[in-house]
Amino acid sequence: MIEYLPLFPVYVVDFIGALLVVVFALIAFFYARRLTILQPKSVLWTYMFWFSMALVALAVSRGVGHTVRFVLLYIGLPGLWKSIAPFSGGLNTITFTSVAVLTFYYSNVRDVIERVKNDAIALYEANLRLQKAQEALRRLNLNLEKMVEERTKELRQSEKKFRGLFEGSKDLIFFCNEQHIIEDINPSGVELLGFKSRTDVIGKPFKEFFRDERQWKMFKEEVSKKGHIKDVEAQLVRPDGSRIDVILTISVMKDENGYIKGCEGIGKDITKMKQVTESLIQSEKMASVGQLAAGVAHEINTPLGIILGYAQLLEEDFEDNPDALESLKIIEKQTKICKRIVGDLLKFSRSSSDSEVADVDINECINEVLAITEHSLNIDRIYLIKNLSQDIPPIKGKKEKLRQVIINLLNNAHHAIGHEGIIGIWTEYDSKTKEIRVIIGDTGEGIPPEIQNKIFDPFFTTKSVGKGTGLGLSVSFGIIKDHGGYIEAQSPPKEKRFRDAGMETVMIIHLPVNKSDNQNG
Amino acid sequence: MKSHKLIIDITVLFVFILLFLPSTALAVQVHGPPEGFIVHLMGHVFFTASLGFLIYILHKYPLDRSPAWTYFKISIFFWLVWNLDTFFVHILSARLPRDAIITGPHLVYSRLKGPFDLERSMYYLGQFDHFLCVPAMYCLAMSLKNFCQRAERAINEEDPKKNIP
Repeated sequence: MIEYLPLFPVYVVDFIGALLVVVFALIAFFYARRLTILQPKSVLWTYMFWFSMALVALAVSRGVGHTVRFVLLYIGLPGLWKSIAPFSGGLNTITFTSVAVLTFYYSNVRDVIERVKNDAIALYEANLRLQKAQEALRRLNLNLEKMVEERTKELRQSEKKFRGLFEGSKDLIFFCNEQHIIEDINPSGVELLGFKSRTDVIGKPFKEFFRDERQWKMFKEEVSKKGHIKDVEAQLVRPDGSRIDVILTISVMKDENGYIKGCEGIGKDITKMKQVTESLIQSEKMASVGQLAAGVAHEINTPLGIILGYAQLLEEDFEDNPDALESLKIIEKQTKICKRIVGDLLKFSRSSSDSEVADVDINECINEVLAITEHSLNIDRIYLIKNLSQDIPPIKGKKEKLRQVIINLLNNAHHAIGHEGIIGIWTEYDSKTKEIRVIIGDTGEGIPPEIQNKIFDPFFTTKSVGKGTGLGLSVSFGIIKDHGGYIEAQSPPKEKRFRDAGMETVMIIHLPVNKSDNQNG
Repeated sequence: MKSHKLIIDITVLFVFILLFLPSTALAVQVHGPPEGFIVHLMGHVFFTASLGFLIYILHKYPLDRSPAWTYFKISIFFWLVWNLDTFFVHILSARLPRDAIITGPHLVYSRLKGPFDLERSMYYLGQFDHFLCVPAMYCLAMSLKNFCQRAERAINEEDPKKNIP
């Protein structure tokens, strides 16, 4: 049975423990202080600092108290310790009461931390959402930029394609506003309408180009009514007065609300095509007339010969009777005229069958004709301008027939001038088209437009009765056609040089050098 | 305004009663010897209750499971046990007879007299309270050290320029 237990171990543990508590308290204070320095805004560290401070105060108070007690008791001053002890105990009470208060306060700190943490999480999540939204927006922007770029590229290509079509088309393409004022036109359109620059055409009313205003009104009404017109033939007029035949297709343009904001149209120049068509019709007409003439001439020629023969026989019988003789002379004369007409008709119908095909020098042919006709021209004070090119190649043809053509054209020129004037003769060779052109012009009154497409018709003449048969040009046309060429009448001449030379009409013979070889002989 | 005036009137009346109706019972209270002891014990109870409350809060709403908070919780636990220990030692000390502690000419000779029943034994063992408060303070220091290191890492991660060796 133990009777006593030593208190010395208790004192030793107390003393050493008190010192260790003070040391650890100071270490804790150091870290608590450092925490508040590192993150001064942290509520938790602030709380920890004051919590540690209170515990440090408790530890120091208690540790120092115990140490002092130990020392005082050890050195034999228990009385002094008795007087100090209540203070030490009171201080201890205050410190751990403070720690207790602070400990209870942790709940509030935790609430604050929780709220701050929740706010921080909410802020973080909001930031994340914002970042995602920004990323999405950035991608959208990138995608949008890419889409815009691709669309722009497509539009550019489309624009380039249609611009190329617009600029490169050989047809007239135009755009008008609701007042039918031309707003845009392609280069071919500018050229077709006889202008040099697009700006000269833009701003002009489209109706200005119509030869017949009634036709324009009809077009306008049709477009307004149906919304379009398709392949309608129209005749336009250029500033220089020349006319062009076009086929127009016009459609109205509407805005997004369905209101008409203008029209767009395409026009195709058919002037040349129309001329060719007319020539073809003319050729066909002349061919049929030729056949008819050949038949008629053949049937009439024999009776005419008989009438002429009997008239001449009767003249011998009625030499004593002047009245009868005069009547018979008239019969003979008129019969001869009929014979000549019939002869011409026969020549017209059988123009390709008489003479031999050989190399013909056109210049030589012209000179031979001029040698015969120049005298009669001089009588009427008609002067000749002769420009014969020296590099004209010979053609395969019938010299007599070609000579007849030149005579016919010179006679027509002479007739057109009457008295006092100039007849111009030009020959030229186009090595590119391998075509010889013989131009015979005159300073007469010109050919009225309304008869220009009739001059090659058989029996069409402007000469007085008895002076012309109306077969000269028809026969000439047939001869040149047999040589593979054609005759073109221009009044006024298209080329300035002829106009400058005073020519009112030019007849142009086109003779292909190669095709002459193929003419049927 | 009326309520303020009422409060002022009641206060004036109370002061008036205090001045004109004095009695000895309302004089400055005398704090005798047992009061300090009781206050000290009440302080321990208060401290113990606060630590129990803190342990409950930390357990119910843990901020995280890092070593810093583990050290902190261990520290609180030791402080709690230390409080209980000191509380009971204070009571046992008060119950100890005057001749139970024999003092000598030197501290080395101080002894606790038996018989060593449960109460006397508990008193003797309870005297070694530093085996509780030293680890408590050590764990608190370690906890703060870990918090400090964590704060430094957080700052360094936020801004590399602050990564001072």
